[in-house]
Amino acid sequence: MKRLGPVSLVVNPRQRQFEALTRAHAGDLYRYAYWLCGQDALAQDLVQETLLRAWKSLDALREADAAKPWLLTILRREHARLYERKQMDVVELDEGLAEDAAWASPERHGDAAELREAMSKLPHRYREPLLLQVLGGMSCEEIAVELGQQPGAVMTQLFRARQKLKSILQGGRAEVQHGLP
Amino acid sequence: MDCLEFRRRLAAEPQSRAAELLSHRDSCAACRAAWERAHAFERELRDALEVPVPAGLAERVLLAQATGERRHVLRRRRTAFALAASVLVAIGGRLAWRQLDAHSLPALAVAHMPGEIRSLDLTRPIGAPAIKAGFADRGVTLRGPTPADVTYVHDCPVGPYKTVHLVSRVDGMPVAVLYVPGKRVAKASDFHRGSWRGRIVPLDHGALVMLTNRAGTPDFGAVATGWRAAIDGMGTAQATTRGGSEPGPGHLAP
Repeated sequence: MKRLGPVSLVVNPRQRQFEALTRAHAGDLYRYAYWLCGQDALAQDLVQETLLRAWKSLDALREADAAKPWLLTILRREHARLYERKQMDVVELDEGLAEDAAWASPERHGDAAELREAMSKLPHRYREPLLLQVLGGMSCEEIAVELGQQPGAVMTQLFRARQKLKSILQGGRAEVQHGLP
Repeated sequence: MDCLEFRRRLAAEPQSRAAELLSHRDSCAACRAAWERAHAFERELRDALEVPVPAGLAERVLLAQATGERRHVLRRRRTAFALAASVLVAIGGRLAWRQLDAHSLPALAVAHMPGEIRSLDLTRPIGAPAIKAGFADRGVTLRGPTPADVTYVHDCPVGPYKTVHLVSRVDGMPVAVLYVPGKRVAKASDFHRGSWRGRIVPLDHGALVMLTNRAGTPDFGAVATGWRAAIDGMGTAQATTRGGSEPGPGHLAP
């Protein structure tokens, strides 16, 4: 194996920016990736690919506030690219992954565990805008831009996503309709 | 905003701080209760989505990035090194070429001339006996008639070569002639170095170098023809050597 010399102590501003970006957003990116693909190892790969791509075009990032949406966009593209390459099955977990090994973890207890299970069963078309809203902190308008949809359609998806989640949590009873509960 | 619209908005954007939304919430007890429930659900949802992040994830990404970057830098350095090496090779090649060229016949002939420059000013023909004697000093026997208007002859060392240095005049223009016995050249070629122009011509057993620094166009062809006839002989003329043997025209005597 080729030996590399000692790491330089001088860190340039671009490198510092990247390190800060990575430390600040790796966690959120992982969670988003995890809920997108449903696999721990794949989610970690997606985070790494996303950040390495971000490094290559780091000069495009002008404002710190834009960092998270920017990274989420890169991650979504990486995820889509991965599906194109590997023709992987989209994880529509509402078809029965309740006992998936990923959930057999110590965290699986109480309401959070039920909610995670319900989330894993949420169809992909509802899960993605919900993740962008809850984990990405995006508004309906921003999600619409990100997904290439109309804001009204996104509003509907978000509404239905929550209704579907509650329905799953209630054991599949009929979803609460638009009327008052 | 009515209650139905409020609930729709609340389910779609629980975190919204839109004025009309907040206004309805504050004016409707049932919707305020729904607001509280919705926000409690959002907190639970957020907690549920915040799965534990694998330890060292950021550090592994940074390591991958730094390693990739260092390899990139090393590749760049290797490329730069290869480029520098090729430049050095080019410079070295050029120096080698210059070294080689410094020992070429044109370079040696031109370098020889400053010490013999006054020979070009001589105008009085020296005659055939003196010319033959000059060649004889180099062990060369002429096989043909000597050219007319030869004004100078001398046995000169030119670099590693022992030459016969002559000056021929063609239409009044002096042309220095160096006969290099035993020197093989593949073909005739012209050269131009500084103020000197010249031509090298292969003969049977040596090479003839002609050069001048005078203005005008010297007739090197005529000069070469004259000296070829004298050194190599004309037609079937046989060479004679001092020892009586016949090793060949213009050949070096043993």
